[in-house]
Amino acid sequence: MSDSQNRLKLIILSGFLGSGKSTWLRHQLYAESFYKPHIIVNEVASQAVDDTLLHSAQALDVLQGGCVCCELKSQMIELLHSICNKRTRKLSEDSGGLLIFEMSGVADPSNVMFAINDDPILARHIVLEKIIVVVDGLHGIEQIKSEPLARSQIEAADQILISKAENCSEQDLSRLVATLKYMNPNENITQSLFGVESSLPELKPVAPIMLNKREAAENLLPITSIDLNLDDLSLIADTWVGFSVWLSALLNLHGDQIVRIKGIVRTPNGRLLLQSVRKVMQNPERIPDELHNTLDVGENKVVLIGRDLDEIEISGSLKKVLNDI
Amino acid sequence: MCSACGFPPAVGHWTDAGGATPHERLKIRFARVNLINKLLKPLGLTATDAGTSPGIQLSNGMGKTIICPTIEDVWMQVEIFTGKSYDPLKEN
Repeated sequence: MSDSQNRLKLIILSGFLGSGKSTWLRHQLYAESFYKPHIIVNEVASQAVDDTLLHSAQALDVLQGGCVCCELKSQMIELLHSICNKRTRKLSEDSGGLLIFEMSGVADPSNVMFAINDDPILARHIVLEKIIVVVDGLHGIEQIKSEPLARSQIEAADQILISKAENCSEQDLSRLVATLKYMNPNENITQSLFGVESSLPELKPVAPIMLNKREAAENLLPITSIDLNLDDLSLIADTWVGFSVWLSALLNLHGDQIVRIKGIVRTPNGRLLLQSVRKVMQNPERIPDELHNTLDVGENKVVLIGRDLDEIEISGSLKKVLNDI
Repeated sequence: MCSACGFPPAVGHWTDAGGATPHERLKIRFARVNLINKLLKPLGLTATDAGTSPGIQLSNGMGKTIICPTIEDVWMQVEIFTGKSYDPLKEN
């Protein structure tokens, strides 16, 4: 397994149509928040607009006239191959090692991860850093109510950014934040005021909105997060064998309930960062001991995020497998 | 391609990432197959790992043996052999 330093880091920027993805990215480029990023923009319209706004990027590629989930999938794979190939052969100037993929408003970010993980070469070259999802402060609630896709995007997010927050009343913002927290227990929610990112103001606790009942019954269940502490569950020093066998069996049968897994496990090969989007596990990444991890997860702690997961049942079954070794 | 099983070399499965040296990787493979055997014993299946060739061999105790390239294929093959899935959340 390669170290994190060698692989191209990927940030997926997603969000529903018109939520403000490009505006945010433009501001980040202007503020030089990222070091020499290579940017890929996917637009459903055949006439690209966003790319002209992003001229200050180090390198920019546009996939237009369709969504990378479906009709442009092969072109996306082709493009990623050429970026990785140029990088390996040091043909491209950018050496920042960061790829920012701005997806079209109608794409599900997990589909891109499936495609990358399915490709034996790309899986070795690209590592997912995080999925940032922009939620429209004004229309977010409506989109969540009516668009299953807007929900899939929010559920897959590592970081949620509420755009146009300057135009939101405090009550609307509280309601949106409560709904987002109900859908994605990730605490990492920030707001963007005129494109500038800031933390959320103090908000009164309010009830989340009732989600549309036309959705399939399983989608109505809230997403919960389960923290597994491997040190508490096992008496043996190396828990990797038991944990990986157990998790692969769990993903095989219950993978559809799981939206996201992230965590760091200590193995004879050092600390490994585990990440999955839906049921697709990424190749684990070794985190050198001298590096502090970028995730807010401690060692031998794994977070499981999904629907209809029972914490006692899950940690109990893991404990049983770990003690079977 | 492996001359024993005919499978082309694949990107390592994520469960194989735990060992840094060939020695450790082999140790992990044997520990893993031991654990799989314990878990699958109630279903009447046995797994073996030759160590020298990739993959895990799964036998149904009635003369059928299948080579499973990764552990994911083991769980899928369990369903084919027994008609039910191995569920880590239930007593099998």
